[in-house]
Formats: sequence, C-alpha cells, structure tokens
Amino acid sequence: MAGLFQVLWGQPDGGFKKAAVLNGTDDKPLIIPIGDDSKYQVENICTRPTAVDWDSDGDLDLVVGNFAGSFYVFSGQPNGKFDPQPQLLQSNNQPLKIVGMHSDPFVIDWDHDGDLDLLSGSSNGGVQWAENHAGEGQKRPVLKAFQTLIAPGKSVEYGARLSEKALTGPTTSTRIWVDDVNNDGKLDILVGDSLTLLEPATGLSEAEYKERQVKWQKNLQATSAAMNDPDATAEERQAANLRFSDLYRKRSEFVNEDRTGFVWLYLQK
Amino acid sequence: MPRLIPFVAVCGAAALAAAANAVAAFAAEFEPPVRLKGGDAVVRVESPGYAAPCWSDVDGDGLKDLLVGQFNQGKIRVFKNLGEGKLAAGKWLKAEGATAQVPGVW
Repeated sequence: MAGLFQVLWGQPDGGFKKAAVLNGTDDKPLIIPIGDDSKYQVENICTRPTAVDWDSDGDLDLVVGNFAGSFYVFSGQPNGKFDPQPQLLQSNNQPLKIVGMHSDPFVIDWDHDGDLDLLSGSSNGGVQWAENHAGEGQKRPVLKAFQTLIAPGKSVEYGARLSEKALTGPTTSTRIWVDDVNNDGKLDILVGDSLTLLEPATGLSEAEYKERQVKWQKNLQATSAAMNDPDATAEERQAANLRFSDLYRKRSEFVNEDRTGFVWLYLQK
Repeated sequence: MPRLIPFVAVCGAAALAAAANAVAAFAAEFEPPVRLKGGDAVVRVESPGYAAPCWSDVDGDGLKDLLVGQFNQGKIRVFKNLGEGKLAAGKWLKAEGATAQVPGVW
C-alpha cells in the first residue's frame, strides 16, 4: 500500500467520500516507478503529495516527496488524471534532495519574486527551501539546492528523557504547511513533528528512576550483544531475543513513554 | 528584511544590481514557535506521532481551519477556526459518515 496516493473526493454537500486510490491516465494506481537497482527502492515509499500547477499549463500536477528525500512531479492532464511517468526534480543536473530523509513538499512563492519555490520538512527536523530562479513568467521552475529556512531543533536520542514542559520548538520528522495564518500579509509556517516523550513512571523518585534506567541499559547492551554473537547457537539467540522482548515490556515499570506529535506555528516577523 | 523589490521610476544599472542582491539575500525572520491549541488542549496526535498540518477552509465558512493528519490509522483531525486566533477542540474528519482513514500511511 505504501507509495500509492489516496484521494478523499469532495461531495456536493461539502462532505467527503472515503479514501480511494488515485489512478494515472493508464487507469493503474499512480506510483513512482523504481528500477532494479536497490538504491532506488526507497524512492516510492513514504510518499507525500501536494497538488499544484507546477508547469503553469492550467492543470494541477502532483509534486511528491518520499523516503529518500527526493521529489517527483506527476504531470496533470486536462481530464484530472496524471501521467504515470513522473519527472525527477533536479538542481544543477543532480537530483534535488533535502538534507535528511522524508521529503515533504510545499510549493509557494516564498520570496515574493513572482515564481513558485519549493519548501520541505525533513526527518532531521527543521524547514528547508529551494529557491526557484527561473524568474517571473517562466513556466517551469528552475530550482537551486535546498538551504535551511528554520534550523532543526535539538536532536533527542531515542530513549533519552524528554519532558513536554521542556519543549521549545519542533523536534524531528517535520511536516509543513505555509500560509498567512494570522492575516498580516506575511507567510507563516505550520510545522508538525514526531517525538517520544519520556519521563519517570509515576511515584518513582529521580534517584530510583536513574538507578533503574542504568541497570536496564546495561541489560539491554548485554542482550543485544548476545543476539548478535556470531558464535551463539540458534537456541542461545532465541533465548536472547526473548530476553530482549521481556526487557522492553519491563521498561514501562519505570518509564512513562508517550509517542506523539504536535503542531507548531512560526509567525513571520 | 526585504520582501518585495520596490518598484522605482529611476532604475539604472546600479538599482537593478541592488534589487538582484536583495532577492539573493532573501531571508525570513520568525517569532519563537508556539504550539497550537484546539479548545483548551494542545493539539497532539496519537501514538506513534507524525503530525502533518494543513490550513484550509474545510467547512466553507470563510475561515481557514487546521487539519492535522497522523500515522495512526491515517486519521485526520479538524480544528475549526473560531476567529480571533482561536481554534475549537478537534473532531475527526468524516467520510461518508465514518471517521475518514487514509490507508498505508506513511
């Protein structure tokens, strides 16, 4: 299922139909084609589309991000369908890629020079933009390489303690939307993120939490080593796998873990 | 911060060069980020996270609303724009009477 595009078609009463797979002009599900080379296998998963008239021909096109961090454009046709063979976006004759993975396109005239620019979130966090320097009146964008617009937040290692109260901005896996949210004539940016809040379980003192965390971490390292021991027998590896699963179950005895995501608003000054 | 190149009646080569530099140096400045709220609660998505915002007038009342997609079941929550910078508590987007779900997210 991953990599396909879904549409909730609007209804005359203002509601929506259930999600349906979007087909190309060949009446097959639209998907980024991949070659046999394994390096392309991540080009058509975790796709993230945005609909915009990319080539100024009057039809909506699909600009699509993906796991690899590159971008493809499916050209829209007058009948509302899309050419199944997409174009890989390039900058200086190289594939245009964000820093990080999970490209997340948003297309808008960010620098107010009369042409469409490309903005994106990233698995690393933050917001990046690729300036279109084709110039006003040019039909097809010509993009520079991505540069940082909003720097990624401080990275948090998986398993590290993170309190909701300590948050000051988006973390990682950013997804963006650009609009004049406060109607002051300037474009603002909405940023969604993904993070794991991690705090001591209710009732544990700080010292108790630290002691159990250190002990758990040592057990985890020993178990991981046993799982990957090339000299271990199949039975020994299986036993290590079971210990590994058990360790994660017991972690909830001293840690409250909350995987979630928030929406942050950056108002432009 | 340059936003638009001012149109001037006298635009010799020097003025054009200055305008080009202004575009090249385009940079935005932002207020510190704030977490959005819907009603009295911070907008948040279900485990395992991955909030994907959209700002669009989904109910046709002339005000753009906040829609937030999430990984879990590909559901989308709608936070109605009440005006004056306030959003209502979130409700799941419906499709044909049921909570809308986008399969295969993401």
